[in-house]
Amino acid sequence: MGFASSDPGVRAPLAVKILVAGGFGVGKTTLVGSVSEVAPLRTEEYLTHASIGVDDLEGVSGKSTTTVALDFGRITINSELVLYLFGTPGQERFWFMWNDLVNGAMGAVVLVDTRRLEVSFASIDFFESRGIPFVVGVNCFHGVRDRTQEEIRRALDLDPQVPLVLCDARDRAAGRDVLLALIDHLMAAHARAAAHPVS
Amino acid sequence: MKHWTEGFDDDHADEPLVRPYTITGGRTTPERDDLTLITLVTVISEAPADNGPGLRRLQPEHRTILALCKQPLAVAEIASALNLPVSVTKILIGDLIEAGHVRSRPPLAFAQAGGLPGMSILEAVRDGLRKL
Repeated sequence: MGFASSDPGVRAPLAVKILVAGGFGVGKTTLVGSVSEVAPLRTEEYLTHASIGVDDLEGVSGKSTTTVALDFGRITINSELVLYLFGTPGQERFWFMWNDLVNGAMGAVVLVDTRRLEVSFASIDFFESRGIPFVVGVNCFHGVRDRTQEEIRRALDLDPQVPLVLCDARDRAAGRDVLLALIDHLMAAHARAAAHPVS
Repeated sequence: MKHWTEGFDDDHADEPLVRPYTITGGRTTPERDDLTLITLVTVISEAPADNGPGLRRLQPEHRTILALCKQPLAVAEIASALNLPVSVTKILIGDLIEAGHVRSRPPLAFAQAGGLPGMSILEAVRDGLRKL
């Protein structure tokens, strides 16, 4: 297939990533865990690491610092391609990290909970404003489908081209299908770009 | 309204801030800015038994990275395995790149390809996901 490094010293696969976003408690880590080949991993970053000088550390031994946590998983596509899934921090206050997260992302899944649609508004705004392709996954883990897809679309003010998929983030097949919906969405965008080149 | 710390792991809240930056010799920012969360790191040489001249003394964490990266591993995975923040991990990986112990492979840069990954990549991901 030809994605592997051409450097004979390193046979490293090519890494790609998909972001899993949405508000607090919508099931981001659950989705990552249900499709990942490893239990979701957690990594941390300092909130203001760049501003902490070593001189400031004197006398603060034992004092904690604020970290922001990221949960992520991994799917080995084949020997030449590996897909990482990153759950994004739910709180807007941590979105300064998103440049790091967003760079190199193929696209995103925004999870919504129909009982609390508003907690995912900011994620949708973010990807729309950045022009990052995304699909919306309606997490029906509580078994309540109290709104029609049309009502959800209207409440989210969703562009008609953005796919909306019902899912149960705990279910591997359902999680996989949300990711496949994103890939189909990217392929459709690809076909449109090829048919109508911008420049 | 929820407090902003709610839901965050505070298992390590009592750990001092000093330790991670002791590992890096006091450096708080990576010298390299080309390492991303999914840059893949692979060992290309074994660590010398004793540190050679001109090499920054290897910390145990450096040696752990060398042991981990016999197979290609992403920066985020290394940080997770070391239980260290990403920025500290990047500094350590930068040391190993500089010393010639590891190589890094950056992820695909979609920004240079009109913002979309190539069709062949998309097809490969789709085929891989279908096997899940």
